[in-house]
Amino acid sequence: MLATALRVPEDAQTRDPKPREVAASRAPARAAPPSATGIGVTLRDLRKDFDGHTVIEGLDLHIPAGQFVAVVGRSGCGKSTLLRLILGLEQASAGRIALETRAVRTPPKRIMFQEPRLLPWARVVDNVAVGLGEGGSRAERRARAEAALAEVGLSEKAGNWPATLSGGQRQRVALARALVSRPGLLALDEPLGALDALTRIDMQAMIERIWRAQGFTAILVTHDVAEAVAMADRILVVEAGRIALDVAVDVPRPRRRGDADLAALEGRILDHLLSERAPS
Amino acid sequence: MIPSVRTRILERLTPWLVPAAILLGWQAAASTGLVSTRFMPAPSGVVAAGWQAARSGELWSNLSISFARAAVGFLIGGGIGFALGLANGLSRLSERLTDTTLQMIRNIPHLSLIPLVILWFGIDEGAKLFLVAIGVFFPVYANTLHGIRSVDPQLVEMGRVYGMSPATLFRRVVLPGALPSIFVGLRYALGIMWLTLIVAETISASSGLGYMAMQAREFMLVDVVVLAIVIYAGLGKAADAVTRLLERRFLAWNPAYRNA
Repeated sequence: MLATALRVPEDAQTRDPKPREVAASRAPARAAPPSATGIGVTLRDLRKDFDGHTVIEGLDLHIPAGQFVAVVGRSGCGKSTLLRLILGLEQASAGRIALETRAVRTPPKRIMFQEPRLLPWARVVDNVAVGLGEGGSRAERRARAEAALAEVGLSEKAGNWPATLSGGQRQRVALARALVSRPGLLALDEPLGALDALTRIDMQAMIERIWRAQGFTAILVTHDVAEAVAMADRILVVEAGRIALDVAVDVPRPRRRGDADLAALEGRILDHLLSERAPS
Repeated sequence: MIPSVRTRILERLTPWLVPAAILLGWQAAASTGLVSTRFMPAPSGVVAAGWQAARSGELWSNLSISFARAAVGFLIGGGIGFALGLANGLSRLSERLTDTTLQMIRNIPHLSLIPLVILWFGIDEGAKLFLVAIGVFFPVYANTLHGIRSVDPQLVEMGRVYGMSPATLFRRVVLPGALPSIFVGLRYALGIMWLTLIVAETISASSGLGYMAMQAREFMLVDVVVLAIVIYAGLGKAADAVTRLLERRFLAWNPAYRNA
């Protein structure tokens, strides 16, 4: 049973010395759910240097539209840089990043940061409207922002200042801001890291529910393996700027916390991460 | 529990208890002859002098002239300071070009320029406006620059990622973020504005509050001299109240100002 649930693509299990040659065989771990709104991401031989120091090297990756991918790894392994490259916040030093979508008009890419990053001088509803960009009439923007707030359960806080909200509520406003423009790709850069354990679980469920309803591609960077296992279709372990492990999580949703398969997978990934410490 | 009306009135009155006590003591000392009214008029004498000056129209004309000088000088100096603060906060090139020069000039006490200013402008309006403008320039400049510098870079990055144009980014992120610091500069500048104007009018003027006080001194009208000083205090308080009002209006989002 475990064997079927935790299938690992052959080439990802070991660190391969020549990533370029196996690039073509690194197909998606399983057929992704068809998504009309999601953005697919393909990276070819990606490299990123900072001041002569290589953070990402020879990285190949395909993320089908609509997939929920979690990226885990130790601090400084390059996982946040990978996310920023995909979003276009950083320029790659070499290699190619291709984004494709089946939608007629390319949906936007959005990011949720570790901090809420709300404008303290704008009301909650106006903060959400920031996610709409600049177009649209006042009334229309407000209506869409209010709808997004309702989706995260914060309708009654629309007129509040961010300073009056709790940490979890602020992060929900940030989620509404990221979702209000109906993005095709949502990047989550450890967005739940600063929240308490129970609020985290609520937020995880909320993000998963909205992802299932909207069908965007989600890339979650986290160092909480349990979170990755609970939420993602597929887990990438990044190590020294490469993908060291690419695991599909074939556990049906909704997933139950404490599920034996999930726990076993979590243990395996943790073992992998911890074994990195002592290179043989 | 909601405080009763009486408690609230008492709370409002508390700050005024000390000034009222001083006034009463002063009046008593003057009435009993403890203090000679030749050197220190009684409060009632000051009020009488104020009433007389108001009725003759002299007070209003002097007050409005002083006020106009303060306002024009403030707008010129504050406007240039604000513009340069913005420019140097937003552009490295502009900062490298002008900041060192400005910091050097900043260390000159602006009132030390009075002899030079009199040589340049005589005792015309230009002299007073120039001094006020120089005086208010630096607090506005320095605090605007500091405010822009200290805008949270994470918010700026968020704005960029969410596709804000440079103009929108400035209007929605940078300027509101710099506003608390700009208000600090505004308060300093208003204080310096009155100070400079009074000094300038005392030294060289043929109208205005400072002139009124200096003329009264020549005729030994102590009550008018004290009247002028009391008006300065009132103007300072009024300027502070206006800033507070603006702060409460524009910084309502900031918990530190909401109940200020």
